[in-house]
Amino acid sequence: MLNVLMLGVGQCGNRIMDAVNKEAFGGGATSKLSKYCLKPKFPSRVETLAINTAINDLKELRFTTAKDRLHVPNLHGVGANRNVGKQAFMDNRDMIMGEIEKRGDFDLAFVITSTSGGTGSSFSPLLINELKRQYRNITVITVAVLPFREEGSIYLQNAAFSMRELMDLEADGIILADNQYMKRFSGDIASAYDKINSMIAQRLLFLIESLDSEMLSVTDLGDFKTVMNGGLRIGTLGFYQADRKNTSIRDAIENSLKPGNLLYPSNITDDAARAMIIVQGSREYLDTDEITKEVEKLSACAGHVFKGIVVKKGYPKVLSVFALAAAPELESIYAQAARAMQDEKEKRGRARKQLDDAFAHIEDLEEIY
Amino acid sequence: MLKFVACHAMSWGSGMRRMILLAVIFILIITATYAKESDQDETTFNDFTLNIGDRIDVGDYRTELIEIQSLKDGLAVMRVSKVGGALDEQRAFLQNSANDFNGGAEGDGITLTVTDILDDQSAKVRVEYKESLGTAKKRTSERASRAPDAPILSVQKSFDKNQIGVGDEVKVTVTVKNIGTGQATNIQAEDLPPLPEFSYIAGYPPKIKETLNPGESDSAVYVINAVKEGSIRVPAIQVSYTDSKKNLKSNNSEPFNILINPKDKAELVFSLRPSGPIIVDGTGSLNISLFNQGKAPATRVEVEGEIRPSEGLEAAGLDKSYFEILPGTDENYSVQLSGKKAGNYTVTLRADYQGGDGAAVQEGMTEVVVLEREYKYLYLLLIIPVLIIVAWSYKRYREYKY
Repeated sequence: MLNVLMLGVGQCGNRIMDAVNKEAFGGGATSKLSKYCLKPKFPSRVETLAINTAINDLKELRFTTAKDRLHVPNLHGVGANRNVGKQAFMDNRDMIMGEIEKRGDFDLAFVITSTSGGTGSSFSPLLINELKRQYRNITVITVAVLPFREEGSIYLQNAAFSMRELMDLEADGIILADNQYMKRFSGDIASAYDKINSMIAQRLLFLIESLDSEMLSVTDLGDFKTVMNGGLRIGTLGFYQADRKNTSIRDAIENSLKPGNLLYPSNITDDAARAMIIVQGSREYLDTDEITKEVEKLSACAGHVFKGIVVKKGYPKVLSVFALAAAPELESIYAQAARAMQDEKEKRGRARKQLDDAFAHIEDLEEIY
Repeated sequence: MLKFVACHAMSWGSGMRRMILLAVIFILIITATYAKESDQDETTFNDFTLNIGDRIDVGDYRTELIEIQSLKDGLAVMRVSKVGGALDEQRAFLQNSANDFNGGAEGDGITLTVTDILDDQSAKVRVEYKESLGTAKKRTSERASRAPDAPILSVQKSFDKNQIGVGDEVKVTVTVKNIGTGQATNIQAEDLPPLPEFSYIAGYPPKIKETLNPGESDSAVYVINAVKEGSIRVPAIQVSYTDSKKNLKSNNSEPFNILINPKDKAELVFSLRPSGPIIVDGTGSLNISLFNQGKAPATRVEVEGEIRPSEGLEAAGLDKSYFEILPGTDENYSVQLSGKKAGNYTVTLRADYQGGDGAAVQEGMTEVVVLEREYKYLYLLLIIPVLIIVAWSYKRYREYKY
């Protein structure tokens, strides 16, 4: 059995982790009642911990137990200031790591964070470092969420610097999710957040379940780690669930590879470095030949593809994990971030000059009472 | 008559006096002649009661009662003699039959008739004779009358029990004793049976010796069985016999009353005491007491129980057997009852036993109520889960409350 640690850092990370807990209660509307009468059903031993400097963000969680909510004291958020956040982490590192230690040893850790916020973007690189230092053999995967581009220059700046720090770490890979890309799933921002959180949570739990299941064709944590170490060590997840109208496993695999079903916008044919295809469903739907053909087709462009088949009652579900060799959207983000930072710098310079000019009017004057 | 004639003669004249005198003389002569002739022809009689040895003297005749030979046949023996030895004859006299001696009273003799034989010691005798013989006189015998050899049988009939119950056997003893001085012969006992209150078992009719000497006795025993209760009068036993003179005599015992009580019987009475209402799927007990309030022991007691309706109430061990239950004692046992279905049930116990008067049956019954299970705390089935859910939910709420 896999021992999995899921850390939700910052408001975004907290909510995605809350969505993971919600999915563990069955998801949907029934999870609200299930929370009071059932225990969360995780495929493996999963320990969750929501970390935040803003207590109000922690209070908004609905499916995370109080003991799994860790408030970094004496702060009401870091105000999107990564420097404050880093200092807060360093000040409370022992307390934070102590809470993690209480949850035992782990094989796999997911650090779920937004790249643009204050707490998540500042805590996560430091936290991952601490995890890698403290747990030698642990596989740490960062689930990083890119911001809406119109959220503001600080968020873009944070995303840019945070992503760079994450890339520089010894982490075992980054799974990217792009809010900007996924907001198309819903009309309004609030429901889009919920939808995005639910999608990420669903795919993470499917991944954990698959890695911890007896498979017809075996993939395991090592394979997953190999996939995530490929390319830029940045990857994303695709997912598709067939319905009774179309139970074809081939169509399910192809659909899971389509950009519309990915968390991060990319062209698999061109950008994929390594991949893992995990298929789950009733035995009658799992045509091994067709699965193999699809995997071979994918291997032609993605290099190496791991294949996992899990026999479980239901229509076919396919999770595709990709390590990307190229991430053009990231460059776009950095460009936007740079422009935003430049604009910010210029604004600040102009404001300073205006202020200095204003102050010049009273430079030789004394206060008279 | 002479005086009458004299009176007439003096009142009339001398002529007439002669005539009258002659007539008187004539009359006197006639009267004397007639008187003389009349004394020679007159017959008279006298009745005497004579005991044996007594004598009647008339003229020269002597008549003595010797014995009463037969009361039954009316025979008495008398001896008639005449002073001088001209007559000495002993003759049996048949009652009411005249016996003439020396020509009888019509002649110069006497006529004797035994008019009544009073008993074996005395008789009434009539003697007829001519007045010329003088007046008959009774001479009582100076000899002590010799006691005759007379048997007297005393008869006694007795039961061996004073208290008799129906079904009891009674020994009837008939005792005949000769308390007289003579031998009793041809003894015959006639005992009337006291039916229908008794039935005879053995020894009837009683047999008594045909002859009993003075002082000798004989007994006979027969056995009867009392079959019917009530107060009855036991009739006397009559014994007939004859004495040495073949006189038929009889005697009988005194009848007496006796009470035949009802036969002792056993009488069993049930006492059934259930412990109270039983709840469905619960148990209770039924205490059973079998008391013999009769006067006889109850034997071979077989108790069988029955429950109606037959389904819904179960009882183990209702049936019992007892060899004997003595009068005034009881037998107790307890039965466990199990209620399976609510309702009213009748537990009936029937005891068959031998109760001294044949087979008898006694029944006892009681009501047992099986109640529906009282779901007194049923509401807890609702409240407790609700409380558990609320507590669980509150616990969860506390777990998720931040």
